[in-house]
Amino acid sequence: MKDWIEILLRSLSLFFLALALTRIMGKKQLTKITPFYFIVYSVVAILSALISANIIKSLVFGFIALAVWALLPLVLDYMSLKSKTLHDWIHGRETILIKQGKIMEENLKQVRLTGEELLRDLRSKNVFNLADVEFAVLESTGEINVLLKSDKKPVTARDLERKIGPQSEPQTVILDGNILDEPLSTMGLNRSWLNKQLESMGLSLDNIFIGQIDSSGDLYVDLFDDCIQLPQPKVKEMLYANLEKTQADLLGYALQTEDTKAKAMYSNNADKLEKTIQKLKPYLLH
Amino acid sequence: MTVSSQVKQTLASLKNTQSTLRFYSTQSQNKEAKLAYDEALKVTKDIIKDLENRLKTLEFEEPQYKGY
Repeated sequence: MKDWIEILLRSLSLFFLALALTRIMGKKQLTKITPFYFIVYSVVAILSALISANIIKSLVFGFIALAVWALLPLVLDYMSLKSKTLHDWIHGRETILIKQGKIMEENLKQVRLTGEELLRDLRSKNVFNLADVEFAVLESTGEINVLLKSDKKPVTARDLERKIGPQSEPQTVILDGNILDEPLSTMGLNRSWLNKQLESMGLSLDNIFIGQIDSSGDLYVDLFDDCIQLPQPKVKEMLYANLEKTQADLLGYALQTEDTKAKAMYSNNADKLEKTIQKLKPYLLH
Repeated sequence: MTVSSQVKQTLASLKNTQSTLRFYSTQSQNKEAKLAYDEALKVTKDIIKDLENRLKTLEFEEPQYKGY
């Protein structure tokens, strides 16, 4: 057999084998793996390259080595799912660097991290002031994660004591001018509903790049033609404004009327509406 | 504008609001949101009923403006 045919066949088979192997070996991100797994991936990569370039002559030997390096990590992974000690042994444990705002110098020395490196890693997490840190931990992947002191944390709605309407994930229902049926039926909607929505917006399907439906059922679209100005859905804001206007009207009638019974009815209803508006506010305005 | 026509206007806008609320109460995926919309729907229904009764009295008192 000619040499070039052999290399072609080896490369082709290794190409698909490597593809299959990386699929099997999982979804771990390369920047977030432990050093051991970095070595595993490197060895697999180098072995496949060597086999495919015909440097390792014997296919059998090459594949044996490849199988060991690719499959043993899988076996270890499955075993570490079952056993915590094995997991710690393989992946290493995280090291606490800062506890209750104080740097643990012993642990720092243990993982051979200098003060400068710690500060640099903190800065890369957007923490410039050491005094803001309550707790920091060095993960087994070498990444540092930081818990800020509670008064330095970003404000949440809970801190402001405000109720926020729950929002679940939106569904993408149009992609590249094609309707995606599965997400549409997840929302409990169908094609004719979507067509009606598009018709009311005056759009044709083939002009839409992406269309998404949020959890309350409002449709947002992005067009291929960016010159077209689209009215964004403002139905909820309108609804809120309408409710407020009605409430103001009722209050006005309560002041105008001479009839005591009607006065009571108007102001009572205005009160009720006011309470409802407050309850609906998180859902309508967000 | 007479009082009764003003009230009628409010009634119309309230009915519009009610229909939008009903739309959201059927369309919302979230149970909590659905409940809030349903509750609001009930309140608007009550108010609409009250306003309609009030309109009847107004039209009885001022029959010359009936239908405006």
